[in-house]
Amino acid sequence: MKKVLVIQEDLIILKILERLVSLNNYECKAIPSLSDLSIEDQESNFNFIITDILFEGIAPLQFVAQVQEILTHENLLIVTSMGQDKIKQEIFALSGISGFYAVPIDLDEIDATLKAYNE
Amino acid sequence: MNEISLLFFIKILVLLLVVCWISIGVSMFYRRIRTSRLALIEATFADLVSRYLYNDPANPLSVQQINDRLKKTGIRPANRNNVQYLISLMIRTQRSISGSNFTKLQKLYGMIPPYGVSIKKISSWNWYRQARGIREIYEMNQVHYLDEVLKYRNDKNIYVRREAQIAMVVFLGWESLRFLPYLKWNMTLWQQIKVVEKLYDFYPQPDLKWLQKVYGTERSFAKRLLMRIIRKFELQSEVEFIMKHLADEDYEVRETAIYCINTFSVSSASMAYIKNEYDKIPDATQKLQLMNYIYENSNMDPEFYLEKLYGPNEDIKLNVAQILWNNGYKEKVQEFYMQQFPKSSLYVG
Amino acid sequence: MWDSVENFFGSGIVYDLTNYFFFTYGIILLCLYFAGVLLASRAIRRTKRRATFLQVGDIVSATDIPSVTLVAPAFNEGLTIIENVKSLLSIQYPYYELILVNDGSKDDSMEKLIREFDLEQHDASFISQPIPTASVRHIYRSKNKKYTHLTVIDKNNGGRADALNTGINFATTELVVCTDADCIIEQDALLKMVRPYLEENKEEIIACGGGIGIANDSIVKNGVLKELRLPNSIVPMVQVVEYIRAFLLGRMAWGEVNGLMLVSGAFGMYPRKRLLEVGGFDNKTVGEDLELCIRLRTHMENLGKPYKVVYLPETLCWTEGPPDYSILVKQRDRWARGLWETMSINKKLFFNPKYRFMGLFYYPYWLFFEFGAPLVEFFGLICIIAFGLFGWINWPVAILLFFAIYLLGCIFSTAAIFMYVKSFDHYTRPKQIIELLLAAYLEPFVYHPVIVFGQMKGYYKKLFGIKSGWGTMTRKGFKVSET
Repeated sequence: MKKVLVIQEDLIILKILERLVSLNNYECKAIPSLSDLSIEDQESNFNFIITDILFEGIAPLQFVAQVQEILTHENLLIVTSMGQDKIKQEIFALSGISGFYAVPIDLDEIDATLKAYNE
Repeated sequence: MNEISLLFFIKILVLLLVVCWISIGVSMFYRRIRTSRLALIEATFADLVSRYLYNDPANPLSVQQINDRLKKTGIRPANRNNVQYLISLMIRTQRSISGSNFTKLQKLYGMIPPYGVSIKKISSWNWYRQARGIREIYEMNQVHYLDEVLKYRNDKNIYVRREAQIAMVVFLGWESLRFLPYLKWNMTLWQQIKVVEKLYDFYPQPDLKWLQKVYGTERSFAKRLLMRIIRKFELQSEVEFIMKHLADEDYEVRETAIYCINTFSVSSASMAYIKNEYDKIPDATQKLQLMNYIYENSNMDPEFYLEKLYGPNEDIKLNVAQILWNNGYKEKVQEFYMQQFPKSSLYVG
Repeated sequence: MWDSVENFFGSGIVYDLTNYFFFTYGIILLCLYFAGVLLASRAIRRTKRRATFLQVGDIVSATDIPSVTLVAPAFNEGLTIIENVKSLLSIQYPYYELILVNDGSKDDSMEKLIREFDLEQHDASFISQPIPTASVRHIYRSKNKKYTHLTVIDKNNGGRADALNTGINFATTELVVCTDADCIIEQDALLKMVRPYLEENKEEIIACGGGIGIANDSIVKNGVLKELRLPNSIVPMVQVVEYIRAFLLGRMAWGEVNGLMLVSGAFGMYPRKRLLEVGGFDNKTVGEDLELCIRLRTHMENLGKPYKVVYLPETLCWTEGPPDYSILVKQRDRWARGLWETMSINKKLFFNPKYRFMGLFYYPYWLFFEFGAPLVEFFGLICIIAFGLFGWINWPVAILLFFAIYLLGCIFSTAAIFMYVKSFDHYTRPKQIIELLLAAYLEPFVYHPVIVFGQMKGYYKKLFGIKSGWGTMTRKGFKVSET
């Protein structure tokens, strides 16, 4: 089964994304921060990582770079409330980002992306 | 003061100290209970909303089930704090989501408690309750209360009128701009930001006639708001309004104009106008900001910069020197500094 | 009237005058403290309510909010510099720049920074310096896109104020936050600090401060305070209470009447425009934060523009307090000298109606009750000894009076702790609260005399022109979590 990792501090968004991913027939690991990831999961290959960029103790750009370094993945989607154009440009400058969704998020777009990958 | 009165005074003080201790104890106890209750409400709401938005056909969730679970977590009319917390969660969620799910959420909110709580708040004597009520009304898109809310757009309390003005934008869209020149009070930066955001989220298609109708306003906040709208919606056809205010007599208006013009690139004729306006700006820092815009958005114009190099302000001269130096006019900079300090050479670190 | 000195003292006039002086001074102070509690509780309540309409979540997603530069000077902090910079970089704000000013460190700070953050030198020939400072050697920016918000300025040593001024010169944002490289700033501190500027209405916000907390012996991970613990020893433990009382009661109360004369140097936000207008921090005084705030206020009074200095009740910055008596004395000695210098520089304000409330009330308050307090206490101690020797003291009444005053002090400290516990969740365990209360009740015996000594030492140095600089403040460093 294809795997998706969702990292969101906001419990409500986390739950909604988890549900969206699960109903698209992906195995979903939903966690509020990177430190909640088990060692087993750290070794997994995720088809998608859907993550926020605002976490304690790490700058947004550093966080994205860290996720890219330590987790094997195919697609990295950013879902964040800090979605100003400036931040978006900086994040894309890091390269390897598949999508950037600023709050308010149109979940249908994420849904379509997941479905397209599944087909 | 004798010993007896002092002893009496000490007794009162001890009593006060004990009251403080009890207050600390009660406060800690209440916080502990409250924190776990709020966590429970949040977890329940998150679960319900996610299941409602993405209903599993194999295990569908009915509205009745949602209402029952909310009731079990303490969402009852008598428990106002819990209800208030639920409302804040509902608003938070609705704000985070757009598209078809936004509509679905609105439908859900019409079917679950609290019912009619917000409208009761706006008739309260307390500004905090009033402002919260208005906010809930526009966040939950209860457009049928528009008339009640509009009454407060010039309220003496800043929070009440701010929320009413935002509500006006949410419900009336671009048309609400016609009220701008008639608002009695100043608009804070946050008010302007919220108005622009709401307009952008709810009415992404600009309706320029309402914007243009208020161009004649003399109110500083209105000018700033209009420029922010032009910037946010990238209204290239309206850039002239921003340009006109680059050398406004009001510092804040100039500040906003310089900030907003940075979003646009302009024709050479407009750039010539901007260069002309540059000289009229009295503040050196703002001049520097505009100079950087001119430099980044137009072809190199040595004459313009050379004129500034011989101007009165040291910081501007330094900036101009850097521009000229980096663009092939080193000898002009050296010549200038040789005149200034004939016996020294320019330090290049 | 009195034909000899002996008769003069024997007439009781000295005794009565002294008693009336202390009684009046004490009553005024008591009234001010009491008013402070009321004003502070109103201010805290109001701040919390206002925050409902301008939540951190709203600000983080907003466009058009002011950009902020955080200026952090560092001098010989090679041991912790990398962790400190990472901590400062992790602050959450969409339009954020960090300027670290290496103030001529003699250790390997620069080498470490260059290595860790892939810094490359940039041309420093055309830096404008609206505020004159010691010369800048080089400017560095990172080649790594992860660190686009970081700028390091390497300059010759000129002291803390000079380093801050260099950062202010170099900043291009509307707002500037001045702090120390070794402070731990709460992740959402800037989002909260910017609130008053977003809500600015008739009065311009010229300075905004946030609560500062003592975090000795607390656990730090990735530059974030992971577990707030109470200090193990009594000196920093009492400082926890002292800071809660000062920030939650004192600053909030003064803020409520727009009477704040001080925004702490450890964490203060200012509009850059105004900083440039007044020429930044004064590097000739060791009380540069107080001096700047008063100068900013004076500047606005001279301009005739309405203004405000505001404080946020929440602790947004954590620092390490002096861990023992000797460092505490050095710190208070420095603060006292800074106060002396600032009072002296701004003496024109004293009862000057041109400066309205600041001249008529706030400055005299600082002079009589902040600057004057240690002098009065010291004088009081001498009087007790002298009057005791003369046998003029009614000891049973004196002891009861002393006990009553002690209880009053305890009540104010307990009220401050109560307000803190009610408003914030930093200290939640009953054991912590009991320890804080005990520290507060021990303060008059084991702590207060030492700070009076430190202050008097500072005044003595100023009085006799004894040269003294910042003094060294040895820090133990926070406990770093390994996990």
